[in-house]
Amino acid sequence: MINKNKRKLLIVEDEFINREILKNILLDDYEICEAEDGESALEILKSNKNNFSLILLDLFLPKLSGLELLNIIEGDGKLNNIPVIVLTSDKELEVQCLSYGASDFISKPYPDSRIIKARINRVIELFEDRQTIKSTERDALTRLYTRSYFYKYVADADKNNPNQEMDAIAIGIRSFHVIKERFGAQFSDSLLVRFSKRLKAVMPNISGMVCRLEVDTFIVYAKHIENYEEFHQEISADIFVDIDNKTPITVQMGIYQNVDKNIDIDVRFERAERALDKIRNNVIKNISIFDDKLKEKEMYEEELIEEFSTAIKEHQFVVFYQPKFNIKGDKPFLASAEALVRWKHPTKGLISPGIFIPLFEEKGLIQRLDLYVWNEAALQMKKWQEKYHKHVPVSVNVSRIDLYDPNLVKTLLDIVKQNNLETKDLYLEITESACTENVDIIIDKVNALREAGFMIEIDDFGTGYSSLSMINKIPLDALKIDMIFIRNAFRSQNDNQLIKIIIDIASYLKVPTIAEGVENKEQVEVLKELGCDLVQGYYFSKPVPEDEFARFLTQE
Amino acid sequence: MLTVEKLKNYGANVEEALQRCINNETLYLTLVNRFIDQNTFPGLKEAINNHDLEGAFHLAHSLKGVIGNLSLTPLYDVIYEMTELLRSRTEMDYQDLIDKYEKSYNELLALR
Repeated sequence: MINKNKRKLLIVEDEFINREILKNILLDDYEICEAEDGESALEILKSNKNNFSLILLDLFLPKLSGLELLNIIEGDGKLNNIPVIVLTSDKELEVQCLSYGASDFISKPYPDSRIIKARINRVIELFEDRQTIKSTERDALTRLYTRSYFYKYVADADKNNPNQEMDAIAIGIRSFHVIKERFGAQFSDSLLVRFSKRLKAVMPNISGMVCRLEVDTFIVYAKHIENYEEFHQEISADIFVDIDNKTPITVQMGIYQNVDKNIDIDVRFERAERALDKIRNNVIKNISIFDDKLKEKEMYEEELIEEFSTAIKEHQFVVFYQPKFNIKGDKPFLASAEALVRWKHPTKGLISPGIFIPLFEEKGLIQRLDLYVWNEAALQMKKWQEKYHKHVPVSVNVSRIDLYDPNLVKTLLDIVKQNNLETKDLYLEITESACTENVDIIIDKVNALREAGFMIEIDDFGTGYSSLSMINKIPLDALKIDMIFIRNAFRSQNDNQLIKIIIDIASYLKVPTIAEGVENKEQVEVLKELGCDLVQGYYFSKPVPEDEFARFLTQE
Repeated sequence: MLTVEKLKNYGANVEEALQRCINNETLYLTLVNRFIDQNTFPGLKEAINNHDLEGAFHLAHSLKGVIGNLSLTPLYDVIYEMTELLRSRTEMDYQDLIDKYEKSYNELLALR
């Protein structure tokens, strides 16, 4: 696979003479590192985590004793895959060491050099075998390595060949889920098997190894090359997605080249996957390289995550309000508003929710942000009522994860109560896609919310792939037509059939529709004609800060 | 100058030591010289005189390891006995053993 350099040993021994004797025995076969005391040994180990094949450990050490060090090593998930041989002259301690996790011991005075060599060799071999056997499970379908097994091999490859430049590659089959839908699971499985065999067969060409990560995603660790065109050809040629062998598969690859070996193995492949994700829906590009821009994005996102708590504390999140106008009558009038969050970052400027909301959803921070927005919006409604004596209901976003929170109803009721509001003042927007999984739980929760008096609006309707029978089951008070339908309808020759269908569905469900992203008068007229009830968009107003919103309250 | 022959006559188990050093005589002689130079025994003696038997045990134990690895048998026999007595923290007069060690050490020193 990858040619083997010398394995690396760490000798931890305070006596110079003893170290010299060991070094002289082992120098030809191993690369030797030395530590004179327990503390510096630990430092060396921590800075070269996966680098050592074995530790030779003297028990009587200054600073940190050998047993203490052994304890630390065995308790550290990353260090305890390094076997330890204890050097000791105490028979009693030998047994104790074994129970502490040492693999073997070498007594002092040292035995014949050949015995020392043989023992070290045997422990390393046993250990590497055992590590391998421990996670031997191969992927049941493709017989490729599973992730943990593969990562171990990646670590071994790095250990044995630290200076070789390596690439991490993520490979996917385009539209695999569509193939599965069309031809069935059995066929798509056989496709995966054929593809796996091909991948395995070409691995020697690039000195690489391969693993199946999930469904149709494979990862490869290989010696660095500049150009991946040929490899791409090799892995996709003559593999067909249909039974008649007419349509060849399209393979897409994301590559993180010249991996930084200081970063964790899974992060390296995450980077390759990021590069792959960038082109997943692109029909032209098949190879994508993880570049500095993606890296910057990664760092930027990491910063946002870190700064989240401070941002909440310092009220850096600002809630804007976009009016929704009722267009049923002769003259449009203000019906309600939607609360939309912005991040006024002290150094990064105004950050778009399009950037941070998906990120917070992924990282599990969205609940805290939602709660923050609910509180802000409720407080704002209270202020408006006090100042302008107007009841303008405000809709807030309720994320999918909020719906699984057993305290959701109580939390919302408390907010309403604290601000002297009524539950009917607070509209809850739930995206259609949140309703596609665990439908029963969602239905129960939505029912509970409605029983408490809250109004439920289904957001982004038409984009969530939910079936009509399911929408029929979800109790709701309004349907929001996603702005993508408005845009598409007015871009091409007035093709507003889809909008019409959605409005028909709404009228069947006996609920009003709200069109988002309405930009001009013509659109308003058409929507009105189609029977749309409410309209939201730049034609009336973009989302504005609360003080600017006040003009809608005083206008009439 | 220290030689393998002289060490043999001194009573060291040269054959065994050289097996440890993969027959590298130069290394062996270098390490014995180093041992003579770094003489840590005075520290051990001081610990015993201060009745710090635990400290003395650790020093004796380390010294035993080195002497053992160099197969300096006459010194090894003494340091072995001392280490075992100190391991059980035996309160006794160590002077005889100290004298014996120093005598052997001086003989070794005289080989140079």
